[in-house]
Amino acid sequence: MTMEIEAAGGSHSHGGGGGDGLRRGEERGTYLVWEDLTVVLPNFTDGPTKRLLNGLRGYAEPGRIMAIMGPSGSGKSTLLDTLAGRLSKNVVMTGNIFFNGKKRKLGYGDVAYVTQEDILLGTLTVRETISYSAQLRLPSSMTKDELDSIVDATILEMGLQDCADRLIGNWHLRGISGGEKKRLSVAVEILTRPRLLFLDEPTSGLDSASAFFVIQTLRNVARDGRTVVSSIHQPSSEVFALFDDLFLLSGGEAVYFGEARMAVQFFAEASFPCPSRRNPSDHFLRCINSDFDIVTATLKGSLRIRDIPESSDPFMNLATAQIKSTLIEKYRSSKYASRVKARIREISTIEGLEVENEKGDRASWFKQLSTLTRRSFVNMCRDVGYYWLRIIIYVIVSVCVGTIYFDVGTSYTAIFARGACGGFITGFMTFMTIGGFPSFIEEMKMFYRERLNGYYGVTVFILSNFISSFPFLVSISVVSGTITFYMVKYRLEFSRYVFFCLNIFGCISVIEGLMMVVASLVPNFLMGIITGAGIIGIMMMTSGFFRLLPDLPKPFWRYPISYLSYGSWALQGAYKNDLIGLEFDPMIPGMPRLSGEYVITNMYGIPINHSKWWDLTALMLLVLLYRILFFVVLKFKERASPLLQTIFAKKTLQHLQRRPSFRTIPSISSKRHQPLHSLSSQEGLNSPLN
Amino acid sequence: MEIEASKSAGNGAVGIGLSPLSETLWREKTNTEIVGDVSARLTWKDLTVMVSLSNGEVQKVLEGLTGYAEPGTFTALMGPSGSGKSTLLDALSSRLASNAFLSGTILLNGRKTKLSFGAAAYVTQDDNLIGTLTVRETIAYSARLRLPDKMPWEEKRALIESTIIEMGLQDCADTVIGNWHLRGISGGEKRRVSIAIEILMRPRLLFLDEPTSGLDSASAFFVTQTLRALSRDGRTVIASIHQPSSEVFELFDQLYLLSGGKTVYFGQASEAYEFFAQAGFPCPALRNPSDHFLRCINSDFDKVKATLKGSMKLRFETSDDPLERITTAEAIRTLIDFYRSSQHCYAALEKVEEISKFKGTVLDLGGSQASFFMQAFTLTKRSFVNMSRDFGYYWLRLVIYVVVTICIGTIYLNVGTGYNSILARGSCASFVFGFVTFMSIGGFPSFAEDMKVFHRERLNGHYGVGSFVISNTISAMPFLILITFLSGTICYFMVRLHPGFEHYLFFVLCLYASVTVVESLMMAIASVVPNFLMGIIIGAGIQGIFMLVSGYFRLPNDIPKPFWRYPMSYISFHFWALQGQYQNDLLGLSFDNQSPILPKLPGDYILKVVFQIDLNRSKWVNLSVLFSMIVIYRLIFIITIKINEDVTPWIRGYIARRRMQQKNGIVNTTVAPDGLTQSPSLRSYVANHTTKTSRR
Repeated sequence: MTMEIEAAGGSHSHGGGGGDGLRRGEERGTYLVWEDLTVVLPNFTDGPTKRLLNGLRGYAEPGRIMAIMGPSGSGKSTLLDTLAGRLSKNVVMTGNIFFNGKKRKLGYGDVAYVTQEDILLGTLTVRETISYSAQLRLPSSMTKDELDSIVDATILEMGLQDCADRLIGNWHLRGISGGEKKRLSVAVEILTRPRLLFLDEPTSGLDSASAFFVIQTLRNVARDGRTVVSSIHQPSSEVFALFDDLFLLSGGEAVYFGEARMAVQFFAEASFPCPSRRNPSDHFLRCINSDFDIVTATLKGSLRIRDIPESSDPFMNLATAQIKSTLIEKYRSSKYASRVKARIREISTIEGLEVENEKGDRASWFKQLSTLTRRSFVNMCRDVGYYWLRIIIYVIVSVCVGTIYFDVGTSYTAIFARGACGGFITGFMTFMTIGGFPSFIEEMKMFYRERLNGYYGVTVFILSNFISSFPFLVSISVVSGTITFYMVKYRLEFSRYVFFCLNIFGCISVIEGLMMVVASLVPNFLMGIITGAGIIGIMMMTSGFFRLLPDLPKPFWRYPISYLSYGSWALQGAYKNDLIGLEFDPMIPGMPRLSGEYVITNMYGIPINHSKWWDLTALMLLVLLYRILFFVVLKFKERASPLLQTIFAKKTLQHLQRRPSFRTIPSISSKRHQPLHSLSSQEGLNSPLN
Repeated sequence: MEIEASKSAGNGAVGIGLSPLSETLWREKTNTEIVGDVSARLTWKDLTVMVSLSNGEVQKVLEGLTGYAEPGTFTALMGPSGSGKSTLLDALSSRLASNAFLSGTILLNGRKTKLSFGAAAYVTQDDNLIGTLTVRETIAYSARLRLPDKMPWEEKRALIESTIIEMGLQDCADTVIGNWHLRGISGGEKRRVSIAIEILMRPRLLFLDEPTSGLDSASAFFVTQTLRALSRDGRTVIASIHQPSSEVFELFDQLYLLSGGKTVYFGQASEAYEFFAQAGFPCPALRNPSDHFLRCINSDFDKVKATLKGSMKLRFETSDDPLERITTAEAIRTLIDFYRSSQHCYAALEKVEEISKFKGTVLDLGGSQASFFMQAFTLTKRSFVNMSRDFGYYWLRLVIYVVVTICIGTIYLNVGTGYNSILARGSCASFVFGFVTFMSIGGFPSFAEDMKVFHRERLNGHYGVGSFVISNTISAMPFLILITFLSGTICYFMVRLHPGFEHYLFFVLCLYASVTVVESLMMAIASVVPNFLMGIIIGAGIQGIFMLVSGYFRLPNDIPKPFWRYPMSYISFHFWALQGQYQNDLLGLSFDNQSPILPKLPGDYILKVVFQIDLNRSKWVNLSVLFSMIVIYRLIFIITIKINEDVTPWIRGYIARRRMQQKNGIVNTTVAPDGLTQSPSLRSYVANHTTKTSRR
């Protein structure tokens, strides 16, 4: 018995030793051990408490790749999250997790974690994605050549050399395949040479060849002396054969833990032998997936099942729930369980292994900013929907406005026309900024992921976004400003033209900032557009165009709202810029001509006691205000919401302690688990609402 | 020998083959008292499909396939991605895209027939169902849409219930299907509902495109098990399946294995194991045979291996697996050659000959058997139920409208007849008709969902475009009336517009007409651009331009004549609405002048001078123009759908054929004795739509 373990241990240490010179310095692997791991999802109301994991014990060793398997809702993802220290704060965990014999809490960014969803910027190529990520995270002291060699090595290691210069692709760009995306996600994570790598269902949604490729590369990563733990859902035969260790879960309990090859033997010993023409992993899941009970019951109920292939299926007359409990019992008392215990003791005695903290060793703040700015700029340049589409729309709308108000003149009706033109430009045209919302949401997703992995801070993100979008916003305002200004023939003075463009720039930037705030607060795209449109609508109404400022009801609309509205400042500035110094024909011919000042004060009800530049300053202050608000919201979300959840969990613990025993009901499903969807629905957004 | 044994075994399980219910249904269909043998025997011989790509290349997607499907059996089409599974399925169900050309013979019961709706059913990969209905309702509405009117309700209900039981849906029959904000049934259950809808008409031939993809093992097993049960009922079931698990694979009767458009194996699923062993690729123990087959014929593995070797990181463990020694491409070649000379191939050919000789019943029947009125009635009811349950469809908008009109109401509260209120009244009307109607865009996503369901049902011939449009119009009416009545009332009485019931009524009616016009406009847009984001942008752009020429932002006489005044401002519905509402509001009132000394300004003077409204046209004329616009936009909607269905595929097919002729010189000689068979136009239309939407 012990012989075998040692043999197994020996083989992997050899494997680990076979690595090449790519690794930086001499690394020692990380042994991960967990004991009596229980995770409980508390329930404040009278409902039962869900035990997501129940007394699990196991270990992961360097140089080996471990699969966590189980039917949907068995707690695979929960176990993975627990080990990676990413458990959401509303669940309570008890038990011990040791890294190299030391109990240590993992923070964000200490281990590499590859999520199920590949969040990547679709407009970058594979090589760019990796190299930007490298520049963001590797120490600034590294030279460019060193960085390049690491990037190249990673590309080679992940087998991405064939698609290294292809775009990743988004909804309108055809790019690399799903398997390549997944390998790219892994590549980004292993850049910093983490000793521990966690993956959440890396093969779901992939066809057999790509799934095989992904797991094969992971196996190579493991053979370099790293510890790889991955949850996996229904692996094919080839994929299953690649795993070294297997942790089989059902309803939060361990059905088997040990070498993957030995699992077949265990099932045979437990008198559920795997038929020879079967994929062992299919067989295991068939034995422990209690959904099959429901299927059998329903099939029997429908009386339609005329032939049941009894020959191959020994389970039709035995409920899976029964099989499952038998297996759990058998495992507890089996030699496999005792081997695990022995091995855990053995690992715990390995002394002197330290998980060094690499946190101090990373890119400087300035380097992060410049890298992010460059990346964001490249993204904006390549994504048609981000700014280019808007520039086109702006040009079209400006030409429309320009032809309608062509050479507006100074007749009596022109007074109103000039006002309406200003109102339309500041109101409706800025409204079109909403069009960039989807692209911005994509970037926010990227930000959330990288923030969670601790790549950079909120400030860097906001600054880089502002800097990179600056040229686009300027060009939009200059283009549309020039077209309307010269077509409508406002007053052809250069300073007035500059003011006009700056005014448009201010409006667009305010809305941009506003939409960012909305994007950070609202769960989905549609809600974002509705909320944004609503806010802009209210601002337009209080801007002084639809209802004159003095006529606005004082209590609410006039006093805070019209001062917070960018529209009122922009419109005041625009009117002053345009009308002061002009003279208009009177309503009835023969009466004295109307001066611009008279029109502004009496017909538009705008005071002219401050200059138009003050209005512009107020507008720019609003731009700044919204960016700060965005910063505050992001910070608040990061700090406050986990705090609230922790308080919630603590309260629940107290609540639980008052109840002597909480019922143990097998978990239904973890919060994070989502039902599998068809490939098509995963690739494109099936519903526009997500 | 073996095959015959299998057949008799299959028939033995079937018994008579028809349940009493489907018997009555088929008697109705065939108009004969004695229901003969209505089973479907499908054979295909030397099937070749060529696709002309957009760059002018012509690609052979399928090459010389021969096979058959018999009643009582469940045939699985398997192969790696891109091997032509779906194309074969499309070719057999005559749903090929218009740029694909087919040669070879496909015989149903020994006759060359175009498969029509009803005789054969096709279940697509994505489940486009109405999320707010329960399972039972979904099936019941579908039944009422298609079953003949004459059939008594009792019988229909029995049919519905038996279908629910047959598909094992009794446990979730009263659960809603679920959408983005409603938690509903699981993915496997959804798939079974999709199948249930298609088997309602008791088709004898059932095609399914990857019914198990995206499902977990238990649900996939359940779906496949029900398919097998369906086939045991005497039906012919053909499904393409991607990577079945071991349990699922064991349920197949016949297996058609494709790689690169060529047959690798066709025969009984249980004998494939033996076949691979004889060909020199035995399946290792503890392996799922289907995994092994796909491993042998998936040439992607070559690429994987090459890349892995390139990265020099691979430490291949030596094994006795023959696949480690040769490339997959070689393995595929060996297998294809081996199959050609195997007894399976000869047996299949013989069987095809045998079945082709037997001339069976003509299973050619129209789609829905319900009358137009029944369809329209049922659809109206269904769409009404959906609208009242879907929060995002109208209720959300009702809330937004009330909020927005309260905002407007407080801003223009009690507007009065001062000098400033002249402009205020004008801008109030323009804001209500401009921005409030703009909010109708909010219903676009729900409508886009509706359109997806429509495309699927249209493709399967459940009903026509006419009944869809009529039902949508009627069912939306109560909601639109409610919304406009509520928000119109709030606005009217808070702002205190022109007093008098007639004026109030006009205001509300005008608002109703405007909102409905926007709704119809968005429908027309949805039929042209299926992409949600593009739809919103285009809708917003069109409305923006309409608003600009409505006469508020620029006075009607000042609008440049050539383009903006004629025709644009006359096309703009805002123009008519504003003309009507200004008259409605101002005519008969008199306003203060700039200074109190001057005489009061009468409404008609203001209309003429300030707003430049044509007073010769009564406000009711303006309103009727708005109503006629509703009709026009709905007509445009119908026409664009019709064009997409009939004209576009024809043009596309024509271009493809021309391209092929240029390429090959003379097409007809190279292709087939039967010439080129064009597929029905609907398929390509919907296929294009779905690919467009899924690409989003």
